[in-house]
Amino acid sequence: MKTQKIILVVEDEKSLREAIVDILRRKNYNPLEAKNGREGVEIALSKHPDLILLDLIMPEMDGMTALKKIRQDVWGAKVPIIILTNLSMNNKQLADDMAKHKPIFYLIKSDWKIHDVVDKVAKILEETNSL
Amino acid sequence: MIAKEKEDVRLKLAVTANELKKSRETLEKKVLERTKNLERITARNEAMLASVGDGLVVVDKEGKITYINKSFEETLGLKVQEVIGRSMVKVVPREDQSGTEVQFKERILTQVLLGKKFVADLTNPFYYIRKDKSRFPVSSIITPVVLDGKIIGAVETFRDITKEKDIDKAKSEFVSLASHQLRTPLSTINWYTEMLLAEDVGKIMPEQKKYLDEVYRGTQRMTELVNALLNISSIELGTFVVDPEPTDIIKLAQGEIEEQKLQIDAKRIKFSSSFKKDIPVILADPKLLHMVMQNLLTNVVKYTPEGGKVTLEIVLSDDQGRTTLPSKIKRSHVLIKVSDTGYGIPKNQQDKIFTKLFRADNVRDKDTEGTGLGLYIVKSIIEHSGGKIWFESPGDAPVGGKDLALEGNPGTTFYATLPLNSVKKSVERGSVSDKKEAAKTND
Repeated sequence: MKTQKIILVVEDEKSLREAIVDILRRKNYNPLEAKNGREGVEIALSKHPDLILLDLIMPEMDGMTALKKIRQDVWGAKVPIIILTNLSMNNKQLADDMAKHKPIFYLIKSDWKIHDVVDKVAKILEETNSL
Repeated sequence: MIAKEKEDVRLKLAVTANELKKSRETLEKKVLERTKNLERITARNEAMLASVGDGLVVVDKEGKITYINKSFEETLGLKVQEVIGRSMVKVVPREDQSGTEVQFKERILTQVLLGKKFVADLTNPFYYIRKDKSRFPVSSIITPVVLDGKIIGAVETFRDITKEKDIDKAKSEFVSLASHQLRTPLSTINWYTEMLLAEDVGKIMPEQKKYLDEVYRGTQRMTELVNALLNISSIELGTFVVDPEPTDIIKLAQGEIEEQKLQIDAKRIKFSSSFKKDIPVILADPKLLHMVMQNLLTNVVKYTPEGGKVTLEIVLSDDQGRTTLPSKIKRSHVLIKVSDTGYGIPKNQQDKIFTKLFRADNVRDKDTEGTGLGLYIVKSIIEHSGGKIWFESPGDAPVGGKDLALEGNPGTTFYATLPLNSVKKSVERGSVSDKKEAAKTND
C-alpha cells in the first residue's frame, strides 16, 4: 500500500481552506492546514509536505514572502508549489517574482474548478514520483 | 441783375459750406466715438481671452501662433514674446504615454488646418511638454477658424488634467481592489456548488440538481463580470502584462469555436470559418488573443437570432487590413473578420460602440446578459498590440417588425488587424502566465 501524500494548504479564508482540505481527504491525501504565510513556512519546513498550495494575500505573512522563505531552504528549493490565489498577475513585480521563485502553476481560484485543482495536484505528484 | 445773381450764389455757397463744416464736425465726433467704442470692445475682448481659465492659443493658417493667453503662459512656462510668430507644433511638443513624440503630420492641429475631421480618442492620454521639459496630461479642443468658407487658422484651448487623471486612477485601483475581494466569496460558492453537483458528499435529486445548476450559472456569470472589471482596471492603470510568444492563431481560433459550439448549436446558427493556409505563427500574447477571439465570437453568437449565419475568416493583410494587394507590398498583419446576420448596430450609436459600458438600444431588450465591456476590452488589447479594429453595419433592423424575416436583419462585420510581430509594450519573456496556461518551470 502506498503512503498517503502530504499536501500543505496555506489559505487564510476558512471556507476555502476547508473546501480544499475536505476534497483532498476524500481523494485520499493527507492535507495539512496553515492559516497564513508564517504558519505555512513553519509547517512546510518541519513536515516537508509533498506539495504546497499557497495563497498570496494573507495576514501576518503574505504568500510571496512565504514562497521566498521556503525557496531559501535546501529542501524547500525543490518542493512543488502551486499558487492558488485571487490576485491577477497584473503587475510586473509579481510576474518577475513568479519567474524567479518558480511555482509550478499560478491558478486563479475563481477561474478554477476545485476538481481541476485536485487533478493538477494529482498530475504533479505523479510526475515527481516518476522522477 | 447779374450782380444780384452772383450775390445769391455766394450766399447759397456760404450756407452749403457752413452745412459741410457742421457735418464734418459731427462726422469727426462720431468717428472719435466709434473708435473709442471699438477700442473698448477690443480691450474687453482681449481681457476676456486673456482671462480664459484654459490655455488658449490662436494660430494662422500656417500654424504660426498669433495670440496666446495668460493661462497658456502659466501652464507651459512660455512667455508671449517667445512664441508669437512661431509654429505651435514646434513650440509645444505633444507626446503619448510612452513618451513618443507625436509627429508634425499626426498632430491634431495639423489635421484641423488641413480641414480633416478628427475624432478624439479618450482612452490614450496625451501630454504637453513645458518649457522646462516637464510634462502634463492634456485635454485639448482644437477648432478651425473659417472665414468665407476658407480655413484661415485655428483656435486651441487646453487644460492640465493631472487631477482628473489621479481621480481616475484612484477609481481604477478601487475597482481592482473591490474585484479581487469579490473573487473570494465567489470562489467559495463555486467550489462548494461544484462539490455538491459532483455528488462528492452524496446523491442529489434531479430537482436539487436543477436548482444547483442555476446557482452555479449565476456565480459563473458573476465571475466573468468580475474578470471583465479586473481586465478593464488593469488596462486603465496600464498594468496589463503583455507576454508575447509564438502563437498559432488558427489553432487558437478553432479552440474558441469549439468553446462556443454549445451556444452555436443551441441557436441553430450556421457557422462557417475560413482560414488561409499561409498564416504564419504570430508573436502575440495567447492570453490576450484568447480574450479578443472569445469576445468577438460570443458577441456574434449572442446578437444573431436563431438560424442566422456567422462567418469567421483569418487572412493576411497590410496594416490597414487590405487583403488584395500587389505582391510586392508586405503582408505585415493578420486580419480577423467576423460577420453575422444579426441585429446590427443602430446608425446613430455606431460611434459609441467601443465605449466602456455602452450597449446599443436594439440589443438591450433582446439580451440582458451583456456588460458593455467586451468591445472596450477588445479594442484596448488590439490597439496595445499595434493593431486596429473597426466594423461595418448598415444600421439596425426596422423597429416593430414582429415577424421580421431573417433577411430583415442587417448584420455586422467586425474587422481586427494584428501585426505578425507584435512586440510593442511587452515585458521580457519568461514570466509565468496567469490563467489556464501555466509556465513550465520545472528544474
